[in-house]
Amino acid sequence: MIGYVARRLGAGLVLAVLMTFITYWLLSLSFRDIVTTNLSSAATNESVDRRLAELGWDLPLPVQYFKWLFGAINGDFGRSLITSEPVMSAVLTRLTVTLSVVLVALLFTVTISVVLGVWAAARGGFADRLSQGLSLIGHLVPGLLLAIGLVYLFAVQMKLLPAGGYTPFAEDPVRWLRSITIPVIVLVIGGAANITAQVRGSMVDELSRDYVRTLRTRGIPVQSVVLKHALRNASGPALTVLSLEFIQMLGGALIIENVFALPGYGSFTFIASLQGDVPVILGVAFFGVLMVIAINLVVDLINGWLNPKARIY
Amino acid sequence: MKNFSLAIQTPISSMEPANLNDGQAAYVWSAIYDTLLFVDHNGEVQPNGAKKWEYDPDKTRLTLVIRDDMKFSDGQPVTVADVVATLERSRTAKGLQAPALSAVASVTATDDKTVVLQLSRPDPVLLIALSQGAGAIAPAKALDNKDIVANPIGSGPYVLDKATVPGSSYVLTRRDDYWNLGAFPFPKLTFRVIADPTAQFNALQAGELTAGQLQPQQVAPMEAKGLKVTRLAGQAHLTMLLLDKKGELVPALADERVRKAINMAFDREGIVKAILQGAGKPTVQIFNPDSKEYNEKLEGYYKYDVQGAKNLLAEAGYKDGFSVTMPSTPYSTTFEPTVTQALGDIGIKVSWEPVPPQNTGAAIAGKKFPMVLYIDALPAAQKMIGTYYGPNAYTNPFRYTDPELEKLVAATATADEAERVELSKKIAAFATEHALNAPIAYMGGTIATDPGVEFVDPKSAMGSNVRQYEQAK
Repeated sequence: MIGYVARRLGAGLVLAVLMTFITYWLLSLSFRDIVTTNLSSAATNESVDRRLAELGWDLPLPVQYFKWLFGAINGDFGRSLITSEPVMSAVLTRLTVTLSVVLVALLFTVTISVVLGVWAAARGGFADRLSQGLSLIGHLVPGLLLAIGLVYLFAVQMKLLPAGGYTPFAEDPVRWLRSITIPVIVLVIGGAANITAQVRGSMVDELSRDYVRTLRTRGIPVQSVVLKHALRNASGPALTVLSLEFIQMLGGALIIENVFALPGYGSFTFIASLQGDVPVILGVAFFGVLMVIAINLVVDLINGWLNPKARIY
Repeated sequence: MKNFSLAIQTPISSMEPANLNDGQAAYVWSAIYDTLLFVDHNGEVQPNGAKKWEYDPDKTRLTLVIRDDMKFSDGQPVTVADVVATLERSRTAKGLQAPALSAVASVTATDDKTVVLQLSRPDPVLLIALSQGAGAIAPAKALDNKDIVANPIGSGPYVLDKATVPGSSYVLTRRDDYWNLGAFPFPKLTFRVIADPTAQFNALQAGELTAGQLQPQQVAPMEAKGLKVTRLAGQAHLTMLLLDKKGELVPALADERVRKAINMAFDREGIVKAILQGAGKPTVQIFNPDSKEYNEKLEGYYKYDVQGAKNLLAEAGYKDGFSVTMPSTPYSTTFEPTVTQALGDIGIKVSWEPVPPQNTGAAIAGKKFPMVLYIDALPAAQKMIGTYYGPNAYTNPFRYTDPELEKLVAATATADEAERVELSKKIAAFATEHALNAPIAYMGGTIATDPGVEFVDPKSAMGSNVRQYEQAK
């Protein structure tokens, strides 16, 4: 188990290095243009050369990259070219914002999906049609439109919730909750639509299996059969979809963050790439890869814990 | 007493004086730093950190007398040594502000209140520059401290509050011991970074911002909500820069007739009506239409005339037209189909090469493209002359020169005010008659403010400065 986790993490690091190297190489093609643009009217051949040298961007590419990597290994991802804040702390600050929205959304998504999905599969009939209908509606509503609509209703018209911006939890928990409410609702509707259908599907499969009939004939109560035995076996595929949903939410956060002016990971990445803020783009890529790898690993471990047959270690 | 909050589109870059950006970032840094001079809403230069200034007769020596009641936020008085050190640093550091001080050969203190700038050539933009980033004053001892980039020490009316989250919101609180408190009526300023216009509009509607820029279609709902809406005639100009006037990439552009033809290809009224939704006006020149330098005689100089343009091209030997590649940038996307069609109609085939936003500046200054569609603000005419018509201008990467134009531009440096205005009008006329570029329209703007706040800079003469706003009477 320990060996397996270490192997997976090692592979993740190799992937992160490879990813950042490709990113670095692609960015390096426009280093000169980035510097020229940032110096705008102060850009002369001389001042551009000087700035390139200051940034160490005049060295051979592998040397530059390994300098960056060496710094990164020591926890120094450099400073933003634009705001001069250290990349590491900037990334972590932004990540906190995005994760606080995404994790809360994920919690609600799981709760709603399991309740609706299990209920639909176990009861069938009206419950099934209702849950499938809700899921379909959730799929059909475009998140962006919903976001704009909710902001208009709750913030602009009723003035109940802020139209955008973010208050850190540590500063004021109530205002924090209010600042993430609408973004969370938008993410949950899209997410729950996906996962509900997935839970329902695997539960229907699972409940039609022989062992369920056997358990029932032994007089074990329906509830226990459904929740203890079937759900446990059905959770594997649902978890995998959930992890994909999580990664998608992190990516989709960009749109949400733009609409709500949340200073999160997505909008941070977006602005950094618009401004050619190379150290930030590299930091974001590095942490992004690590995050995706960590999520997948955690899902595999939970799967193995729930279902020994699915263990890959 | 209302506090003031405004949305800005991008995070603030460095707050080190040598690297101050005179765009939207100026809202934040101009509240933190005192500048030596100040431009009021009529575009006139006024005293600020310097209470008096004087040029010698041949305009190569500028003497400034510094106020004696300025204090930095760390409690230290502002001395003449701080002024000299900051100007020297901004002049030599090769940062964003170096070009603004390029005419300055030396900065010296002659006594404990007087600073003398010795110039290598007269510079008509210098006074304006000293009211912007090039005139910001920081403590001499802080200039070498890396921390100044994010935690500036200034002598201005506000200090950065610890509630600031760089890149997302900048919170400033007013100092009680500031020498000119009367000019700064807001106890607290908040500048939130909101890139998306819709998100900004929502925040404005929800009352989370006290002022903001509106898109044309957002005006009616705002007025319905009881916010005050101020329409500004000209905030920016939309111009097709004809960079390659020497014909290095596209030989045709070296021919004045071809450049005139391009000017005749645009239906300027149609573009204002359809694309700018009426928020703007057609133009063939670029000086601020609210300024004295604006030359109304030029209006309508180029009529929309496809056949006439074709005849000119044929005369120049391009009966079958030619092809150009232009960069596709955030400025150009909205206008690309129109430009492609307008130039296509007279036989010029345009292809657009996507350029990432961070390379927009390089697309202009890098000699890669013969023509660029550009949107730029409308600062003081003397500054615009430097950006557009000087031999080393930012928008003149191919270094096109013309003896007559050079003479006019050089003369503005030593002229008195009335002469300078006349010369500027002549420069505008020269640029129009010789089709140095193809200006298309002034783009208007609309500012919405909370009923408690008033916008007092209708000509947009101040640049991005919190003094554009006051408490409503």
